[in-house]
Amino acid sequence: MRRYLLNRLWQSVVTLVLATIVVFAGVRALPGDPALALAGEERDPESLRAIREQYGLDQSWLVQFWQFVSHAARGDLGQSIRTGEPVRTMIATALPVTVELSVLAILIASVIGVGAGVVAAVRRGRPAEWAANALALVGLSVPHFWLGLMAILYLSVALGLFPASGFVPFFTNPIDNLHHLILPAVILGTGLAAVIMRQTRSSMLDALSADYIRTAEAKGLAPRAVIGRHALRNSLIVVVTIVGLQLGALISGAVVTERIFALPGFGKLTVDAVFQRDYPVIQAVVLVTATAYIGINLLVDLLYSVIDPRIRVRGDA
Amino acid sequence: MTRRLPLLNRSSWSKRRRTVAGALAGVIALALAGTACSPVEPAGNDTSGGNQSAAGQDVFGDPVDPAQVRQGGTLTVALSADPDKLDPTLSRSLYSRYVFHTMCEKLYDLGPDAKIVPQLATALPTISADGLSLSIPLKEGVKFADGGTLDSNAVKISINRGLTLAGSGRKSELGPITSIETPNANTVVIKLSKPFAPLTAALADRAGMVLSPAAVAKLGANFSTAPVCVGPFKFASRVAQNSIKVVKDPLYYDAAKVHLDAIEYRIITDSSIRSANLKSGDAQVADSLSAQDAPALQKDGSMTVLQSQSLGYQGLTINVANANGIGNPLKQLDTPIAKDPRVRQALDLSIDRAALVKSIFNGLNTVACSPISPKSEFTSDAAQVCPSHDTAKAKQLLADAGVTTPYKVTMITSNNPDSLRLAQALQAMVKDGGFDLVIKPVEYAALLDQQDRGDFELLQLGWSGRVDPDANIYNFVGTTGSQNVAGYTSPDVDKLLTDARQATDQAQRIKLYGDVVTQLQKDDPLIYMYRQRNLTGVSKKLLGIQVYPDGVIRTAFAGFAK
Repeated sequence: MRRYLLNRLWQSVVTLVLATIVVFAGVRALPGDPALALAGEERDPESLRAIREQYGLDQSWLVQFWQFVSHAARGDLGQSIRTGEPVRTMIATALPVTVELSVLAILIASVIGVGAGVVAAVRRGRPAEWAANALALVGLSVPHFWLGLMAILYLSVALGLFPASGFVPFFTNPIDNLHHLILPAVILGTGLAAVIMRQTRSSMLDALSADYIRTAEAKGLAPRAVIGRHALRNSLIVVVTIVGLQLGALISGAVVTERIFALPGFGKLTVDAVFQRDYPVIQAVVLVTATAYIGINLLVDLLYSVIDPRIRVRGDA
Repeated sequence: MTRRLPLLNRSSWSKRRRTVAGALAGVIALALAGTACSPVEPAGNDTSGGNQSAAGQDVFGDPVDPAQVRQGGTLTVALSADPDKLDPTLSRSLYSRYVFHTMCEKLYDLGPDAKIVPQLATALPTISADGLSLSIPLKEGVKFADGGTLDSNAVKISINRGLTLAGSGRKSELGPITSIETPNANTVVIKLSKPFAPLTAALADRAGMVLSPAAVAKLGANFSTAPVCVGPFKFASRVAQNSIKVVKDPLYYDAAKVHLDAIEYRIITDSSIRSANLKSGDAQVADSLSAQDAPALQKDGSMTVLQSQSLGYQGLTINVANANGIGNPLKQLDTPIAKDPRVRQALDLSIDRAALVKSIFNGLNTVACSPISPKSEFTSDAAQVCPSHDTAKAKQLLADAGVTTPYKVTMITSNNPDSLRLAQALQAMVKDGGFDLVIKPVEYAALLDQQDRGDFELLQLGWSGRVDPDANIYNFVGTTGSQNVAGYTSPDVDKLLTDARQATDQAQRIKLYGDVVTQLQKDDPLIYMYRQRNLTGVSKKLLGIQVYPDGVIRTAFAGFAK
């Protein structure tokens, strides 16, 4: 087990280093210059030189990379070229917003998706199933951007039910916080709800034709108990796996949703940094994301090995 | 043994089925209705308006009447872009000027007529006969937001910082300053090595903002993290790329005129979403409305659309001799459009500016043929001469230049919807003049890079404009101009521009700039097309919002209507 653990840790470190190199080189391969992007329309050679000097952009890539890595290892992610703020503070402010938005989106998507999936499976071939399928099709095919804009126009502008933009931290005012996040979370969750609905429907159909369901029905169990306690429960295993796999897609969807609703999240931070060629911010957000991804994967692998000893044994071999 | 649950029998399932199906159908109907819809008109829409001007007229907004507003409230301004560093010395974006206006007052300001008026100074500078010395009298009893007192030494520190701080965006604006003297606490004397007429206008912008010496000493180059100046509001917080908040400063010398408690600038980059926020009431002011959205807002009885014609321009830059990148020696490009002014004139004549403005911008922008706005104090008949649209003449000029038509020319442009619409209209338009325009959309940061490297044939980009014409011309067409991306060189234009910089008589400067325009229209390194109108949407619940020709939205003395 110890050897397996060390092996996985080593692999994670190598992956992280490779990810760091790719990101570092990738942002520099983009056309555009951070000094020019910062200077905008007011640029003269002298101030461009000063900006490049200040942020070490005039140094060789190797020196810049070493500075980035050595500072990051000490927890210093540098300063934003555009705003001069410490990148660590920017990430610490943005990350909780995206996490809260994503969790809320998963909750909403699960409720809608599982509910619609069950209805579609139980009422197969009837209008309820067609409606649920149509809903899933809309959820999968309509882009977040358009859906967000429509939601703002109808629910915020015309009906005034939700704020069209802005964010209130949860610990400042939990009610206001939810009021601001509910619409973005619904929009973000639409795609996921559709995936969950289709998966729930198909798993439920499998389960409903299984022998144990026939047995349960034969025993005279009420339909609700058959569906809820037997069929749905067994179908949810696949659904939970799907939700986990969709997490990445959810976070990339958050990029668009955060921009539409002006939420100060991680996705908006990343995209704006790319447009502004704010190298320290791009590098840091990718480093943080890669570390989180690698960390979660490592954790999952270790859990697998605890659950299934065969994995551990193969790793040791 | 399985417990039987009482709720679910066949009839209750049936009822539920109908409810769920109904709800789902409702959601789908809503979604499908959206697919085919045009934006919703708010209830109670008053198409008669009453607040609007005809297209093409400026609406600056009115100063607040204190009797009509209540005290307090937080104003939310939807901004189209994130301001850069909140440090007047280092800042470079127009958007930071929106925020500075509320928290960093300047020695001079601009009036609605684009004329310079004193702000922290008590009068316009007294300029010595030789033009080498400017004396500026300061207001007394003015406090910074940190409690420090504004005096001549603070002004000296701020101007010196602009001249010396690494990366300063103010150095070139401040010109040939040799020293700053402080004969007493309320007088600053600026000494120059040669006359520099644009200096007063520069002091009416960020170069004239006075920073708290204590904050400068404490924060140094990190002043932007907690900026302290003199203003109706003071900095409170910033969430990167999302929002900036300023709160009322009780130490402000004219605090009685400030009605709002706080102003929050919320960054919303998409123009339709900015408009939607304005309609929903989440924001009360929105900048840079799209010319496509403005007409609908103008018809909305609960909104006012303020309009001010920009002092800048939008145009086409032709790469004449920028083969090696800006800052390197010029090298003539070997293409007909670079070598022969007749080909550039032909392109100019192929553009129907009036049609362009009408069709693409709903008539909200105005035609421009020179870098000098008709609203500028420095305008003249010569500065407003405009070549008429004449495709026959354009073709003749191309024939005279020995160019076979259609002459293919590639234009790079920003990849935003407005720029692409403009490019497509231009493409169709110049075809009649004998040009085959190829459009290459490029992301903005990459566009700037290509521009400075000289990696373009034709480029569409603009300039937001400054009060003094020097700032709108010298850097772009002067041989040594920092943004002479055309690589244009003309000893005549250089001499005229230098003379205009050093002339102290306004009439003489006006004449010189007129001559510059005449020469530029012959050489055509930069084809001026139109002047943008800054469109700002304002809720009628708010009184006292104003927009001046410098494009800065004046929010500081506004208030919510009683």
